[in-house]
Amino acid sequence: MTKLLVDTDKYGYQSEFAVVEAYNSAVKDLMRQRFAAAGKPWREFVFGPDAAVVTKADMEAIEARLLDLGYRFTPSAMSSAIERPEAYKDAGLNNPDFSFEHEGAPTAAADAEGRELRGAGDNVVTYEKNMSGIARYVRTSDKVLEYLTNGVPADTIAIVDDSGGTLTAPVLEKFKGVLCAGGTTRSHLAILTREYGIPCLMNSRLSGIKDGDRVEIEISARAKTGEDYAHGVDASARVWRLTRG
Amino acid sequence: MSGNKLTYAQLLETNNLIQQNADETYWLCATRTVQESKIFPVSAYILFSYLNCFYRYPVLLKKLEEHMSAEEIGDRARNSGIKIVAWTIPCFYLLGREMLINWGVIKPTDAVDDVIYVMDFWKRFQLSWHRNNGNLTNRMANHRGQILPEQRLQVYHADAFECRIGDELHTAAQNFMATIAQYGFLVSCECRVTTHNHGPYKISDTREMLVREFRELSEYDYPWLDGVGKDIPYNNLTVNMVLEGININLLDDWGSFESEPEMKPEHIVAVGLYTQDNLTHVPMPVGMGSREELTATFNDLNARIKAATAKLWEQMAGWTRDQQLDAGALVYFAIAKEMAHIAGCYEAEDWMMIDERTERFRPLLNDEYGNLFLGELVGYISTPSQRMHDYYMMQHTDLPRRALSYFPYSMLNDTDYAPTVGPMRPGVSNLPPKVDRYRTSQGVMSQEEYNRASREFVPDPCNDKFRLLCTDWVKYHYDTPLADELFKLEQQHSRLLKGKGAGLTRADIEALRAKG
Repeated sequence: MTKLLVDTDKYGYQSEFAVVEAYNSAVKDLMRQRFAAAGKPWREFVFGPDAAVVTKADMEAIEARLLDLGYRFTPSAMSSAIERPEAYKDAGLNNPDFSFEHEGAPTAAADAEGRELRGAGDNVVTYEKNMSGIARYVRTSDKVLEYLTNGVPADTIAIVDDSGGTLTAPVLEKFKGVLCAGGTTRSHLAILTREYGIPCLMNSRLSGIKDGDRVEIEISARAKTGEDYAHGVDASARVWRLTRG
Repeated sequence: MSGNKLTYAQLLETNNLIQQNADETYWLCATRTVQESKIFPVSAYILFSYLNCFYRYPVLLKKLEEHMSAEEIGDRARNSGIKIVAWTIPCFYLLGREMLINWGVIKPTDAVDDVIYVMDFWKRFQLSWHRNNGNLTNRMANHRGQILPEQRLQVYHADAFECRIGDELHTAAQNFMATIAQYGFLVSCECRVTTHNHGPYKISDTREMLVREFRELSEYDYPWLDGVGKDIPYNNLTVNMVLEGININLLDDWGSFESEPEMKPEHIVAVGLYTQDNLTHVPMPVGMGSREELTATFNDLNARIKAATAKLWEQMAGWTRDQQLDAGALVYFAIAKEMAHIAGCYEAEDWMMIDERTERFRPLLNDEYGNLFLGELVGYISTPSQRMHDYYMMQHTDLPRRALSYFPYSMLNDTDYAPTVGPMRPGVSNLPPKVDRYRTSQGVMSQEEYNRASREFVPDPCNDKFRLLCTDWVKYHYDTPLADELFKLEQQHSRLLKGKGAGLTRADIEALRAKG
């Protein structure tokens, strides 16, 4: 069978993640077939008309083979799952009873002040005092549009999935605080909350916080720096549930 | 094999330039994690853009150099500002190469003529852009980006209006910067290419200045700003921000900064506002006649940008995934397009299209594969092509990984490779066609008019008389009429420095500020 150069690799053998390996192997397999069929030296094949026979239809076929096995992709953009529900898992974006249940989220019973530890995150900016407010999940453009039309409810600490600044763009400045389940203190959302002076924890690992719960976030904690990330220094700020919504 | 005989020295230098980007790529990406957005399939579009860069940059950068050399483009960029091209040109391009190596679509030896050229172009541009600090990158300066010459800094220093937290100007400036940063992320589909910072520049023992550039705000190259950006009267805005009591201890090649202690609004003690593009001689003050005028200008721009943000968000929230993928990929890929405007050879067909060779791979780029493959490429550095022998220790992690593949030296004897991806191929796009309307400092123009104006225009500081009059020349000739002329160019619109010439020191500027 025809071999590609990368088929012989002393140090690298496969990708970390199964879906990456599946796709990359499938493209390599296609290239082996097309190179063999071309019957030419590599230098004439690689950017020549023969290579152009690797087509968009080939790539669609690679995806179809994976989906036929029952695999469904994890969505990140809303449009992906909405346009192709047959290819993506349901992200549960519209579940009113949703709560993040992150692995490794620190939890503890209520302390003397009645605060129940329900998570931790990376503090973007240190403030003098901690802050409390009402937790509200903001996970869809429909929710943002609702807030854009009717206004953001007072005292809202928004809980968002990812570190982007686009989903909440038209309403971000109206939030009292933000708990973001992704990113770092150098991510876009962190930059924007810093600019707006909105307290924010990034990379938050949360458990059991539901829409409407009153929460306190430890924004008096040390802010986490790029150097902390580079050297694996933990600088977590805590999140407590005060009362159920 | 290569059309020109490759040399050992060429490969050594190219591999060195590749490695410089490899180390920084990991560091920059590790401190951010993989970007995600509920609106945009970010990782997928980033991968899509890398491929487009790989297939198109060699031809497009050569096209630029038919009009203007990379080093002259660097001079113009230093004079009129530019987006974050420092890291992006080589890294987007090389990461596209890395993807294709991992797919077996190319070998590490393929496209060698292209890679040598792209890296050399980047090196010459960077050396010119960084002329005043002598480094190739901010990384080499221990993460510092001092780009501007003394004569420009003196004007920014002199004319910045004092402000304190809670006063009207401070509030207006702070609100404006938050709004424009957010608009920038939205305009660039969740990435940061429309916002760039450089500096810090030392103002006094306790003060530093950061120069913040916000670019592509109005109707310009992106089809999605047609109509949306119409009421924003400036395409680019520059805010110089004087900070007291903190040290900007990191300003990376993405233009992001950190400080010690961490920056808070109260650290901002003076601000100025300017606009500039490749058709301005020097930065034009915006609302800088008085504190009151500047406050009103910030507030007016803030309202306009907020309105544009809401319109743009509604437009983008209604896009199909293919439109999101195209727009994001084009933002990343076309980061170098400002150079085409500088050179006067911008064509939407070149920069606002997905090459048909890239388009083939669209079906692979679902959200999950996008996140994981990008994560492996730039975060974990774990794809097979990036694995090294067990004795190898990568910078920052000590792991046996290398982010970007070298050219093997054996290729000097083994010629079974293709030196170039070849000419441009047609492109496709799912986005609405671009309206032929470009806002510049000289008015709204068609693409053809803008290119013509760009080709005919030479900013005064970049003309033959002044171009080579660098800081080292000024040091020994500040008392000459020519130095005075050079400084007076920069001072022509200055409230405090107009006509003052080349003899002033930073302390003189402070004294002038104290007098008001």
